[in-house]
Amino acid sequence: MSNKLFLTPKFITTPSQNGVGRYVCQLQRVVLKFCKNHGSSRGLREFIEHDLINYSKENPGTVVYLKPRRHRGPVIVGEYLNGDQQSIYCRNFSREEISKWLNLLLSQSGNHDGTRLRKLWHTEHPSIQGPWTPYTFRDPMLNLVKFPNADLSKVLNQPKTATEQLLELFEKKKNDHAPKQQSE
Amino acid sequence: MASFLKFLALLPPRAVLSPNLTAKGIKRWVAPTLIELERRRKRQEPQPPIPRSSFLEWNHDAELYSFGKRLGEEFNQALLKRAFTHRSYVVQKELAGNPTDTFEDNSELISEGNSIILKSVRQQYTTFPDEIVEALCNHLVNNTMLAHVAYHLGTKDIVLTAEYPAEASTLADTFRAIVAALHRSTGEDRAHLFVKDFLLCQLNGKGIFDIWDPKNPYEVLKQLAQENGVTEIEARLCNESASNTILANYQVGLYSEKKLLGIGWGESIEIAKDTAALNAIHRIYNLAI
Repeated sequence: MSNKLFLTPKFITTPSQNGVGRYVCQLQRVVLKFCKNHGSSRGLREFIEHDLINYSKENPGTVVYLKPRRHRGPVIVGEYLNGDQQSIYCRNFSREEISKWLNLLLSQSGNHDGTRLRKLWHTEHPSIQGPWTPYTFRDPMLNLVKFPNADLSKVLNQPKTATEQLLELFEKKKNDHAPKQQSE
Repeated sequence: MASFLKFLALLPPRAVLSPNLTAKGIKRWVAPTLIELERRRKRQEPQPPIPRSSFLEWNHDAELYSFGKRLGEEFNQALLKRAFTHRSYVVQKELAGNPTDTFEDNSELISEGNSIILKSVRQQYTTFPDEIVEALCNHLVNNTMLAHVAYHLGTKDIVLTAEYPAEASTLADTFRAIVAALHRSTGEDRAHLFVKDFLLCQLNGKGIFDIWDPKNPYEVLKQLAQENGVTEIEARLCNESASNTILANYQVGLYSEKKLLGIGWGESIEIAKDTAALNAIHRIYNLAI
């Protein structure tokens, strides 16, 4: 799934205005599936032994279920409030890795597997000034002008004609030569 | 010994390392069986969704406890359980012949909760005209909106009801019952705060005129202005641009006693006048929601 053509494009969203009123952790329950004697579940077993009580005390809003299964690989299944489900196969994971993955589940708003963010930021107010109108930044002087007005009807950015350019060159040359003659 | 090692070295490596993986060891029936099962599953009609509560790893009491903690509220657990128990569930239990003495349904809490929610919404917008408050109440306190809020609080799996998945009206009733349960558990202030944090925040990113859409804004403004003691409203054409084209644009300002009430744009003067009236209403009542 590393090819970005197979990733679903997504924008950053918040489920149901979470955090506008108060923040609600979106992970509603997590199931830790493990084997009681297989070596691949060792990290998960150690996590359960040492860290699980603290984890559930710190996050009382998340229900933690333990599901021992004989001779099957260890899996973490997280369920989110928006109905998403995410399973992480954690064969041979260490205790620290398990707590990092569980922390990721806690801090996510849903299952973002197989998605690609189209933008890394989001705003409800792309412009604080509001949209431009023909009257924005208009010169107040124009309120008193009577139309048709010869001054305002002139063409802007009129390029110089060839004759004018030649005359200008001639004048410039004349000025350049004039002081030399004086010095002699 | 040396000759035996030489013999091992001559064998293909797989045969040495895993003697079980012979032609017999590969289970040739697994893939065809799984393919056949998948084919039969696809041929079947779509199966109804399996309720989460029927799973082995399910503890309703723990779910209820977490529900309260997740929202940062201290619920009375008995009341919370009652808020989640619908009449249809109790009836289903009765028909199945189970004792239902321990179950109390939430029909009383639903009506109580509805009035608390309406009261909270009205309390929040005391300065707004009645017409706008009614529009806000209709927008917020209906089954679709309440069901949306209830779904994202995580009631979908916990709710005790006869049907699965729970209908929108059931989820909306659950939200009402939860508000009533909170009101009984921790008092009026917490219930109002709950409604404010979870229901009123749904108005975030919306303007008042997305919700309240008056037919004749200018007439409404005249009426509202009269109630506020403003008698005469004068509409002036402030700006116009590109008239007689498809990109025509007019700006109309509404004045009263040389003071600007509101200003608005539109592709015709009439539309600009209506937009200005909406702007004036917004300014008079400070309708930021």
